[in-house]
Amino acid sequence: MAELGNAGWMAGQTRAQFAAIAWLRWRIMMNSYRRKGGAGEMVGMLLLSVLFLGMVLGFVVGAGFAAYFFALKGHLPWIAGLLWGIFLLCQLLNIQLGQPTTTFDPTQLIRFPLGVDTYVGIRLFFGLLTPANVAGTLTSLAVAVGIGLAAPGLWVYALVAMAVFAATNVLFSRMIFAWVDRWLSTRRAREVFTAIIFAASLGIQWANFTFNPAYNHNHKTHAYAVSQQKFGVVGQLIVKVEPWLRPLPPELASASLVQAKVGAVAGFAGYTTAAALWGGLFLLVFALRMRTEFRGENLSDAASAVAQKKVAVKVARVTSGAAVTPIRTVATGASEFAVAGRARVWGVVEAVLGKEILYVRRNTGILYGLVMPIFLVLIFASKFATRSSAGSVWVFPAAVAYTLLAICPLSYNSLGMETTGAQLYFMAPVRMRDILLAKNLLGSLMAVVEILLIFAIICYVAGVPSLQTALAAVLWAVGTLAVNMIFGNQRSIASPKKMDLQKMMRRQASQVSALISLGVMMVSSGLAAGIFFLCFWLHAMWALVPIFAVFAAVGVGFYLRSLKTIDRFALDHREELLLELCKA
Amino acid sequence: MIGGGGLIDFAIMAPAIAAHALTRSFDGFTAVDHIDLAVEPGQFFGFLGPNGAGKSTTIKMLTGLLAPTSGSIQILGQDLFYNPVEVKRLIGVVPEGMALFGKLTAREYLLFVGRMYGLDKATAEARSTELLEFMGLADQGKKLIADYSHGMGKKLALAAAVIHGPKVLFLDEPFEGVDAIAAGTLKAMLQGMIARGATIFLTSHVLEIVERLCSHIAIINRGHIVANGSLDELRAGVQARLTPGAEGEAQGRLTLEQIFLNVVGGEAGEAHPEQELTWLRS
Repeated sequence: MAELGNAGWMAGQTRAQFAAIAWLRWRIMMNSYRRKGGAGEMVGMLLLSVLFLGMVLGFVVGAGFAAYFFALKGHLPWIAGLLWGIFLLCQLLNIQLGQPTTTFDPTQLIRFPLGVDTYVGIRLFFGLLTPANVAGTLTSLAVAVGIGLAAPGLWVYALVAMAVFAATNVLFSRMIFAWVDRWLSTRRAREVFTAIIFAASLGIQWANFTFNPAYNHNHKTHAYAVSQQKFGVVGQLIVKVEPWLRPLPPELASASLVQAKVGAVAGFAGYTTAAALWGGLFLLVFALRMRTEFRGENLSDAASAVAQKKVAVKVARVTSGAAVTPIRTVATGASEFAVAGRARVWGVVEAVLGKEILYVRRNTGILYGLVMPIFLVLIFASKFATRSSAGSVWVFPAAVAYTLLAICPLSYNSLGMETTGAQLYFMAPVRMRDILLAKNLLGSLMAVVEILLIFAIICYVAGVPSLQTALAAVLWAVGTLAVNMIFGNQRSIASPKKMDLQKMMRRQASQVSALISLGVMMVSSGLAAGIFFLCFWLHAMWALVPIFAVFAAVGVGFYLRSLKTIDRFALDHREELLLELCKA
Repeated sequence: MIGGGGLIDFAIMAPAIAAHALTRSFDGFTAVDHIDLAVEPGQFFGFLGPNGAGKSTTIKMLTGLLAPTSGSIQILGQDLFYNPVEVKRLIGVVPEGMALFGKLTAREYLLFVGRMYGLDKATAEARSTELLEFMGLADQGKKLIADYSHGMGKKLALAAAVIHGPKVLFLDEPFEGVDAIAAGTLKAMLQGMIARGATIFLTSHVLEIVERLCSHIAIINRGHIVANGSLDELRAGVQARLTPGAEGEAQGRLTLEQIFLNVVGGEAGEAHPEQELTWLRS
């Protein structure tokens, strides 16, 4: 053999490995946009990135202004609260948007001649540019800018302190999610974790609406006073907990700035170093996790399934001493195809509906998305109930619209979770029309259940809404759902996106489909709101029901018509559909 | 055959699978080029070819997963393009991706497939139970298919393909990733089906298994059928082309691997010197 082993591994070769992996990620990303529909995906991704940046800009500017204000007024210790907010924002964003999954399994790199330090470096480096990390770093920089503008003498100190804080933030996220990946390697753990995140999310929403005075400004001073009282309780809690938080990075960064303000450079250096040590600790823990991964730890469900099966087989051998039970035969005197015609169609619809219900039950992400609107309606409705009666007219329609916002997108990638199972729909003697009808039926059932629950909640909390408004809102929902399903069915076939059952993220749909779904909802809601307002001002609320009845009838009519051509559409697109869903 | 009294009886059986001038092109590249296939009822038909030859493309067209660019396909006398639903009632398929639903248990999946093929609930349940026992999957209980090993998935996919009692079975690489014990179970089941009059169309890279199971074989290479016939016919054909060995002795009974390599090019075990990689020469 020629070159291998003749010379030692050189630093240049390690740099070349980094470069090769960076190139690999770039090529995978670019090649993914070369597939059919890739251009649309890129446009959708860019648009959504712009939207996200817009949102982040709000946080960044807000944080900068807050830091400027605190520094100007001599309240530098308050910066700690701001930094805690940045820290929590980063973690929430990481959870909501998910860590960036590499487009390839990084453990595939283990077979190459990489040192463990190189592997740790690669895993650390190629996970830095997440939306959460970008948001957190930009916000930290904005804080530094705000402080620097208010107190120019603190420019350098603020930059250094915030750079260390941002790095610590990023390293904390990388550490946590590296270990979370380990803990969530089994499906059961993922389900439990999703439920915890869901409960925490709802808790935050509840706390926001309960303690935030902005949601309690109303004519009833008692309610405002109660809100202030609750806020006061929380404030006392924070005071009690604060001493325990002092050794943590946000408090250390804030304390370092206070030291810098009074000219205590040594103090500044001490606190900043302490914050940096936290970063070092997070990096160390991250590296420990990566080292275990580097050694070839197998964390898959299949691996644990195999281990469990070995035990089961062993137990069976020990306990069973009987002879093999002869396989009983089944009499097949009757026709195998027991039903025909419409009953056959219903059989298919029933079978697919049953399967879809099982899938929804076993996907905590979808369940979370369905429960969330109901919970938020519960919170919202109780707030709007104390406002003027004019406002409460819109509560039910708004709640219905919010519910559809959660349900409608599901129809835009209805085949995504089937993965290779989608092939069955083209192999079996069934029509795609019946398959999609069943899926749409489930979506409609979910909408019915949600709307009924919302109606019950609003009746309990805010009083029974007017029959006209309620009926109009329901008819609008029928029409909007139908329109969404027309587009959704087409997008599900023409632009499916394979959904990874192991990912916690709920939304794994095409970017373009997400935009279309949002667009349809916005147009429909906008038109409906306009009609509502018009009827309200013209004192012609009686017209709502007939108008939306026509809308519902037209929507359903077009939907049924669209089903007639969906078989042909599916056959024309089956190649790319199966290519996407069956890819490795 | 001519009977007494001047009556003429003809027993004409349509092929189980008939493809005529079947072609499939992808962006200017022709993966399958005007192939003709005829598989008689009751045959265990092996469809072989090197990687990228067009095997999977052909089987996808025969099972309705891919539209041909041109040509026709008939299954048991029914045209696949004009009567797809009727054809699909008659066939069972284990495709390349196995067509499983990860979020279902094995029983739920079989019940679902049974219903999709038009079985009533009771029949689907009874057959699911029997199939799970037969395949050794009855003890998996609530485990989701997503947690199955590859071999378990293959067995389940085969169970799903036969639940409705198809007359023609298409199997794309059924033994890939399957251990010897499981392969034995599958082979026994397939041979039982043949004995009861079913037709099986199989692609596989495991030539030893194909040789043992299949009565007829077609070999595709670069989109063209380069050999088609019974194993004995192919053997005789290749035998006739071979010259006696260097020692002057006649070749022994050729294995399917030798037939395959002879037909698609290159002899087993011999690498041309010029094909060695330069940096691997010691």
